[in-house]
Amino acid sequence: MKREHSHRETSAVKTGSSSMTANKEEAGGFDELLVVLGYKVRSSDMADVANKLEQLEMVLDDGISHLSDDTVHYNPSDLSGWVDTLLSDLNPTCDQVKPDQDSEYELSAIPGSAAYPRGKRTRTGSDSPTTTRSMVVLDSQETGVRLVHALLACAEAVQQNNLKLADVLVKHVGLLASSQAGAMRKVATYFAEGLARRIYRIYPRDDVGLSSFSDTLQIHFYESCPYLKFAHFTANQAILEAFATAEKVHVIDLGLNQGLQWPALIQALALRPGGPPDFRLTGIGSSLTGQSVQEVGWKLGQLANVVGVNFEFKSIVLNSLSDLKPEMLEIRTGSESVAVNSVFELHRLLAHPGSIDNILLTIKSIKPDIITVVEQEANHNGAVFLDRFTESLHYYSSLFDSLEGPPSQDRVMSELYLGRQILNLVACEGEDRVERHETLVQWRNRFSMGGFKPVNIGSYAYKQASMLLALYAGADGYKVEENEGCLLLGWQTRPLIATSAWRFNRVE
Amino acid sequence: MAGSDQVNLIESKTVVPLNTWVLISNFKLAYNLLRRPDGTFNRHLAEFLDRKVPANANPVNGVFSFDVIMDRQTNLLSRVYRPAYAGDPPSFTDLQKPVDGEVAPVIVFFHGGSFVHSSANSAIYDTLCRRLVGLCGSVVVSVNYRRAPENRYPCAYDDGWTALNWVNSRSWLKSKKDSKVHIFLAGDSSGGNIAHNVAVRAVESGIDVLGNILLNPMFGGTERTESETRLDGKYFVTVRDRDWYWRAFLPEGEDREHPACSPFGPRSKSLEGLSFPKSLVVVAGLDLIQDWQLKYADGLKKAGQEVKLLYLEQATIGFYLLPNNNHFHTVMEEIAAFVNAECQ
Repeated sequence: MKREHSHRETSAVKTGSSSMTANKEEAGGFDELLVVLGYKVRSSDMADVANKLEQLEMVLDDGISHLSDDTVHYNPSDLSGWVDTLLSDLNPTCDQVKPDQDSEYELSAIPGSAAYPRGKRTRTGSDSPTTTRSMVVLDSQETGVRLVHALLACAEAVQQNNLKLADVLVKHVGLLASSQAGAMRKVATYFAEGLARRIYRIYPRDDVGLSSFSDTLQIHFYESCPYLKFAHFTANQAILEAFATAEKVHVIDLGLNQGLQWPALIQALALRPGGPPDFRLTGIGSSLTGQSVQEVGWKLGQLANVVGVNFEFKSIVLNSLSDLKPEMLEIRTGSESVAVNSVFELHRLLAHPGSIDNILLTIKSIKPDIITVVEQEANHNGAVFLDRFTESLHYYSSLFDSLEGPPSQDRVMSELYLGRQILNLVACEGEDRVERHETLVQWRNRFSMGGFKPVNIGSYAYKQASMLLALYAGADGYKVEENEGCLLLGWQTRPLIATSAWRFNRVE
Repeated sequence: MAGSDQVNLIESKTVVPLNTWVLISNFKLAYNLLRRPDGTFNRHLAEFLDRKVPANANPVNGVFSFDVIMDRQTNLLSRVYRPAYAGDPPSFTDLQKPVDGEVAPVIVFFHGGSFVHSSANSAIYDTLCRRLVGLCGSVVVSVNYRRAPENRYPCAYDDGWTALNWVNSRSWLKSKKDSKVHIFLAGDSSGGNIAHNVAVRAVESGIDVLGNILLNPMFGGTERTESETRLDGKYFVTVRDRDWYWRAFLPEGEDREHPACSPFGPRSKSLEGLSFPKSLVVVAGLDLIQDWQLKYADGLKKAGQEVKLLYLEQATIGFYLLPNNNHFHTVMEEIAAFVNAECQ
């Protein structure tokens, strides 16, 4: 399908002079000028895309806004694909069931034909790296600036192993932090504690994140801010789309915790036009968790019963996700659609070399229809301590900033939940340092190289997520963004978490 | 209708490079999808489709950027672009290091989008602002003003005013020569309109603005001008969509005689005798609202104000988004000269 020749079928160009490059090609064949503006169009496809745009213009006129209500759009950067979607929407060959317009605030399964975009899919290969060092500038109060300066200076001293200096600075930070208020104070305090622990080698308990206390904290985090809700919501949308026509579905949750993600999915499946599929959930838990994975499954089963969904549950308890073997999952090949779901789980495996490859191999071997991944949008896994420190300082500043508001137990516990992540990130090393967040770009690379193909999350999920945010989050500062088929949630302009979806072809 | 449409389409394709045509046609199509006949706007889809880029404190091509909150109540964000410092990339605390040089111009930029589309972090405007930094060696502050139809007149102007005051009061933006901030206002399409209105308010309140740069500024009026009739639908823009945007921006029930739309119309205040900043007005010869833009430049002249009009015969809207045509380079040179005239 790809055209070999790169000759451009441009109509006579009056204005373009030969000295100005009209269509510069780059390594991937994409028009360089458009890439800068966020659009990936191969120079060899330019004329074709232009023709399609012309076609669309001829058929449509001003009053086409109704199309935007019915159409689900995917990856606007892939202009060719986007235009194809619109064109095929004008010639509907399949029955499209409209999503229930009334229940706009609930999850709805959308038709299977919209699940995978037609036309060309964007290559996710050579993206120019966007550093996540977008800065949040604090109020220009002097002590605030001095505080940050002191924190960074202390981190630098730690980096250089000048522990005497670091010791002096960390005390100074404590002093400055006490004069601050709000988010900055809390963030600075946690980072200072992390530094102190690192300096004095009083490391936080290494079961951070795995105890049942952590589960409890996560519930408060879920309640107090939209990040987890967004993660669950967007992942569920992708799963629903993939399961649109399946009769039997099997979801494998790589980190069940309290199972907060699944009631909504169960309800959405129950409401599916045509009736719910049989739903099977495999929940994976850690052997260090006090809470029984079985108990969570049992509660979900009760809910499923109430709404009339056939439910089956299996629990798997492991020391580490990399111990997961395909046989444990008991996939019923051929008769069930499989989804693998991971919310803030995969980055932990980066602490142990080889673990991530193990789990990806296991996932590949069961050939799931969809894999949903939610991760923190930040690079907190760089080789250099100071870089990790700086990145995470900005990241958690934004996060804490978004939590500001009237005090509540949920909020206090959420701050503690995040604080423990900070401590792990700053004070721990080696296998103990599990908060090894990486960016969407990094995860994309890893998945692409592993042979996974991206599945675009579309405008329907985007719209629903935005509306949910407006309803539940209240504050104006949260923003949902689309990036080449993935959705990101951020505070002000800083993206903080990213949801992506993948598949591994059965026929490969 | 099909026949004349075909002529239209082919015409616009012959005057711009193909990738420009694809870019602007894509916008045209997407915007058509977003505007509803009842005057409402599909904001969710708009934000989904808009290609945005994050700020980047690591210099790229000699420019770095960071976002600031100017006003928490209205959530007014802006993106600040600065020339890279010599040596290491700026650390967190260096972002607001005092500007270099005796005279350091600061451009307050208002992005276009007919008051409805785009944001300060839209890729097309992030790219443009970065170019301006490189071109003029100046700091550029791109204002993420509130947009219609959710926020009608005067919200955008109010936000522009807030931004101007913010910029004017930053100690780190002061030029060494006179310890004042040397401000230029700039904008394309609706941004040009906002720049004009903020300048008016600045003059009335005693804040010095050194110059206005208006690229294809968005003005209008109730009558149908010759250019509107002649060019309707021919080069990406229709009279009908212009009407829609004015209806979205102006207060309900108002018509296009409103001074926000028609600054030299019957309802506007005279600028005569005011020390209005000098203006650079760029008009594209294939823009259907050019008669209004020419009327604007004329109005400035008649009011005794300094204005340089740059009329580009073969240019369409959006020519300044891609550096693949002569007009682009002409205009960039003019802007650089306009801003740097101060630095002599």
